[in-house]
Order: sequence, then structure tokens, then C-alpha cells
Amino acid sequence: MPAPGPARPPAGAAPSEAVRAAVTAVLAVYLLGLVLSIAGNTGSGSSALVRTLKDRLFSPWMVPPWLDLGFDYRLTYGGPEDADHGLEVRRFDAAGRDAVRLPGGLTGERGARWRRLARSIALAAEDSDRDGLLAAAIGKGMFDELGSEDLSVRVVRTPLADRGASALPTVQAYSARVRMVGGEVQLLRSEARAEVAPLVRPAAGGNPKPEEAAR
Amino acid sequence: MNANVAASSAMETSAVTGSVTLAAVWNRFWFTPADGRPLALLRIGTASLAIVLWWSYAPDVLSWFGPAGILPADAVQQWRSPAGFSLFDAATTSASLRVLFGITGIAFAALLVGLGTPVVAPVAALLWASLLHRGPMLVGPADDCLAVLLWCLAIGPAGQHISVDGWLRDRAGRPAPGPTLRAGITWGLLQVHASAIAAAAVLSQLKGDVWWNGSAAWFLAARPAGRLLDLTPLLVRSEYLTNFVTHGVTAFEIFYAIGLWCMPTQRLVARVGLVAWPLIGVLAGEPWWGIAMGLFTVPLAFRR
Repeated sequence: MPAPGPARPPAGAAPSEAVRAAVTAVLAVYLLGLVLSIAGNTGSGSSALVRTLKDRLFSPWMVPPWLDLGFDYRLTYGGPEDADHGLEVRRFDAAGRDAVRLPGGLTGERGARWRRLARSIALAAEDSDRDGLLAAAIGKGMFDELGSEDLSVRVVRTPLADRGASALPTVQAYSARVRMVGGEVQLLRSEARAEVAPLVRPAAGGNPKPEEAAR
Repeated sequence: MNANVAASSAMETSAVTGSVTLAAVWNRFWFTPADGRPLALLRIGTASLAIVLWWSYAPDVLSWFGPAGILPADAVQQWRSPAGFSLFDAATTSASLRVLFGITGIAFAALLVGLGTPVVAPVAALLWASLLHRGPMLVGPADDCLAVLLWCLAIGPAGQHISVDGWLRDRAGRPAPGPTLRAGITWGLLQVHASAIAAAAVLSQLKGDVWWNGSAAWFLAARPAGRLLDLTPLLVRSEYLTNFVTHGVTAFEIFYAIGLWCMPTQRLVARVGLVAWPLIGVLAGEPWWGIAMGLFTVPLAFRR
């Protein structure tokens, strides 16, 4: 008969001081990382101090497990970026015909993922590091499907109407021409008319004439 | 002089007592063994949610991440954080992508039934994080919360009850484990995250005018895509109702973030959260996020 081994402590027994100290250290570091993630990932931006601390000490191990999160779920501010977005890709030379519209009739979380993709394209237009990145990739990915290497990639937005107001028509939030030129993908961004500053020529007297300013 | 010494001595005593009290509170919060049964409920709920969200990728996974997909790995690597990492980046063929995506689904199914949970839970969390990093522009709030829940399950003994693991243990005649330290730490992490997410959400909301002027509920309900329930006919009739719903959401989130820390209200808050979060999720057009938020409080709502 084998000799009885050392009695195992019950599962609920208090941990040793060393275990407590180690777990406390790990928890304290994680909780500090959580606080910095929340402070550093807000829509309002973050201070240089928080950003540096987080990026250097915490992001390298909190980003890979998808824990570097701000949780700033504002739900809505009623602004254009909170509206529904959709993606529309078609042959550049075929206005309106054979367009792929996404999410189209897709519902649920699947449709929501396509709307997030479309919104990301539109919002990236204000980010110099990301502008055009997705639109070019999407255009290139659809060359085969649409049978053309010259496509128009558009993001459309359904603006949110105020309470009691009638529904607003869909507007274009982003548009670009994506084409293959010499084996390379080329992206030509189309600016919406309203977003382009008016070209104003000062009149001889100084102030521009109203009709010139309106042109 | 004597008074100063006495005051200093009193302050030292007070500081020592304060640090002892703080240490005691910390130890009680994190190192009290807890029951694993509520974690089993959390495991089932989280795995079910994971399967739903995983399935939402399924029809488009090749269109997005496939060799001829619209989100090629090199473009996504430029987009995401430099520290981002995805196992799916290595799936460069349709077959390997299908296999890896399938393994992710199998991991979630195994987690649901509680099979090999100590191994499956961290694997499921790792695969989910990898899937999210493969297409961060597709990720929504429910995906974020699911990642946190999965890592919590990877820490706690979530497979001891209502599971194949538990059934196999009973069949082998081994006794069911009692309260454990790991379960206690998991409960603590869930509570901290539930409160932190609610606090971060409410802070973010209160930066917007619509949450102060009471019109946020209208703008949530007015988005036609993705809504389960069209509340606009109701809200358009009454401004007061719109204001009430808006302020109700904010008030609940504050009540939840704080109330989870008060012992007398903790269970009540947790149980209210089980109902209120999914309702907010439906209103916001993010029903799975609402359910994920509700899941955070399952152990607290069903604690004994």
C-alpha cells in the first residue's frame, strides 16, 4: 500500500502570501492598464502622458488579446458619423448599373459589419495614415467580381433627421475611383461639391461679386 | 510639541490602520474563494453569444479575408495597431482560412458544452482576438465585450458544472470542487469590467449634447438599419417620453457603475442589469452588445 502523500489543501483554502503577492502584482498592473486604456482610447483624444505610458508599457501586451479597449460606447451624438452607412461599388463607366450595394438587404450582425466597414472608409478620409487604404483594397478585391479594372467605390450615408422632421435623402459620404494602371492600383478621390472651398477671385474693388462667390 | 507628537502618532496609526484596512478590503475582494456554478451559467451564455457573433462572419469570411478578399492582410496590418497580431494572417489560402475559422467555431461549441474547458477557454479567447485583429474595421461593441468575457472564462474554472467535464468527473467518482480562488478572481474581474464599461460609456455619452437635451433616444431609434423595434412612432408623439428614455439610459448606467460596489444593492443592480442592458442594446441597434453587458453580471445576479 503506497504511503499517503502530503495532504492537499482544499480548493477553497486561503492562498499563501507569495501567491497573494504575485496575483496582487499582476492584478495591479492589469488594472492600471485598464484605466489607461479607457483614458487613452476616447473619442476626445488623450494626453501625451497617457498616450506615451499606454503605448510603451501596456499596448504591447494588451493589444494582442484585444484588451486595449476604451469602451467609449457613446451610442449616438446624433451626428453624421452616427448615421447608417452603406457601400456601393460599380464599374466606373456604368453609372447606376450592376452596382454592388452592401449591406443591401443583409440584416442582423452580418449587415452591421458591412455598415461598420462602410463607415470606416468614410471616417478614414480624415485620417492621413488611413485615407484611401480600405477603398483601394475593396476596389481591387472587386475587380474580378465586376469584370472591370476601373471601379467607383462610394460610401452613402442616411442622415439622421431631427424628431418629427421628415426623413432625409441619402448623401454621399465618400467617393473614389479605383483602377489598375500599369499593374498598380490607383485611387482617385472625388471630393463632394459641398466639401470643396469655392474659388473666389477678388473683384477690382476688393470684395468678390456675389455671383462669383456663389460659383 | 506633545500635541504634535500625539497628532503625528495618531496620523501614523491612522495611516497604518488605513493601509491595513485597504489591504484587507483588497484581499477580501480578490482572494475570497467563490462558487464555480454561476461561472457555468456565464460560460453557457458567453459561448452562445460567441457562436452567434462567429456565425455573423461565416457567410463573408472568404469575401473579406480570403486570398482574393477585399480586406487583404497587408492592408489590414497598415490599418491596425502595430502591436496587433492575428493567427488569421497566416491563413493565406481559402482552405487554411476555412480550417482556422472552423476551429474557432469548434472551440466555441466545446466551450458551450464544457468540454476540455481549461484548455478550450484560453484557445477560444485567443482565436477570437485573432479574428477581430484580422478585420478591426468590422468589429462592434459586442465583439469587444465578448473578448473580455472569454478571457475571464479562461481564468476562472468555468467548466466544473453543467458541463461534459463535470459529467466525466462525476462518472470517474471524483468529488465536485468547492469554492475556488480562481473563481473569486474571475468574479472580481467581471465586476470591475462591468462597472468600468458602464462608467466609460456614460462618460462618453455625456460629452454629447443629445444626452443632455434628452434627444439621444430619438437618434438611436431613428436609424432604420439594424433596429429590431421601430420606436419612432412612439417617440415622435411625445418629447417627454424621448427625454425620459434618454435620461433613463444615463441614470441606469450611473446607477449600475456605482451600485455594483455597494453590497446591499449589488444583487439588485446585477439583476436589473440582466434586463436593462439588453433593452438598451435593442434601443441602440446593438442587441448583442446589450446581451454581452448583461452577461457580465450573471455571477453577481446568481450568487448565493
